[in-house]
Amino acid sequence: MNSYHHLDSSTLIGYSAGSLPEAFRAVVSAHLSICAHCRTQLLDADRVGGQLMSQQEGVPLPAAARDSLLKRLAQSPVSSPAHREAPPRVHDPDRLPEPLWPYFGRSYSGLRWRTIGPGVHHIRSQVRDGNLMLLRIAPGRSVPMHSHGGNELTMILQGAYDDSLGHFAPGDVADLDCDIEHQPATSPGVPCVCVAATDLPLRFSGWLARALQPLFKM
Amino acid sequence: MMATHPLPAKVRPFEAKRRVTEPSGQTIEDARYWAQQMAAVAAGRDVDCFMRIYDHYGPRLLRYLLGLRVVPAQAEELVQEAMLRLWRGAGQFDPARASLSTWLFRIARNLYLDRVRAEPHWREVQDGLEWLDRCEADGEDNSTEAFADHVRLTNAIDRLPAVQARLVRMSYLESKSHSEIAQELGMPLGSVKSNLRRAFAKLQAGLRPAP
Repeated sequence: MNSYHHLDSSTLIGYSAGSLPEAFRAVVSAHLSICAHCRTQLLDADRVGGQLMSQQEGVPLPAAARDSLLKRLAQSPVSSPAHREAPPRVHDPDRLPEPLWPYFGRSYSGLRWRTIGPGVHHIRSQVRDGNLMLLRIAPGRSVPMHSHGGNELTMILQGAYDDSLGHFAPGDVADLDCDIEHQPATSPGVPCVCVAATDLPLRFSGWLARALQPLFKM
Repeated sequence: MMATHPLPAKVRPFEAKRRVTEPSGQTIEDARYWAQQMAAVAAGRDVDCFMRIYDHYGPRLLRYLLGLRVVPAQAEELVQEAMLRLWRGAGQFDPARASLSTWLFRIARNLYLDRVRAEPHWREVQDGLEWLDRCEADGEDNSTEAFADHVRLTNAIDRLPAVQARLVRMSYLESKSHSEIAQELGMPLGSVKSNLRRAFAKLQAGLRPAP
């Protein structure tokens, strides 16, 4: 899968630093699982982290820790890389990206959608911080937009939409600055399914705001 | 079994007083030296080389974890855990892809999310991504990059404008989210992001040889 809309570097820094809310981490992981370009960018961000970590002045460890580490070495078997099943040669259209499995299960056909408005369905997942959900929006709809100044990260899983920023197809992420306003329209034919992370408290920028108004009485 | 090397003068013992803001003096030789220690651990299970890595990086890992507000007892335990992971997985260390400090940073960061934030499945996902990378080497030849990076990256970090340097450090060394940084500094969220974006562009330029 080639994506054309990638993660913002500020998002990658947050992911690399371990400081993104969990909801955002899930969406970033999902995109990284299909995007070699962003994985290369992430390595650069991790290099910055490694450099900052090694530049710091250390804090001495207790002497006893050294001895107990030596003891534990002796009992520590050397691991060979864990065997993982090879990625399916044939793209299975029913499989969600692997990083989303813990949150939504493995297959689109197994999803249990809830209607939240005309042509809009969603599934929310439990995360510790942030708000993570799948959205399914009927084809050929235009969603009016306005910005609320929060963070929002969306990855297209199926279908597509277009807006002033371009065409968003499966694999693409809309990693929007909090003050961008646009008006996406889902493409005709198939529903647009995406996974979206937003900040808590719920402050939506963008098309989610309108889609979710009935749900949160915004 | 490799012969062990005396510590080059460039590698400062951890007692040396150094603030992050000073040039770190990390040279290509240093990065190569640590890669050699790792090679000896991988090939010969060389305990001396391993403990040399521990003596140098252990205190830095501890500082990093304490900076993320991990309680001291748990931070010390996580340093042990990170070092054991290095010992067990030494064979998977590839100096052409990343330097030892990058690798250790990843291990420590993953442990932090795994144990402290207690995020289920995080490490599984990370292992999967690492594995994807190994499957499809991007065809970029970066065989010397990991060594050469250090010097240029150090300079790039030291040359960042003060605000950008502060945001980068708050992100990495205090693990603060963009929103937390915005709140703490009274800065609009958009400015936090655009400053981080600009900082990253400068740091990336420091990671790549000038064309």
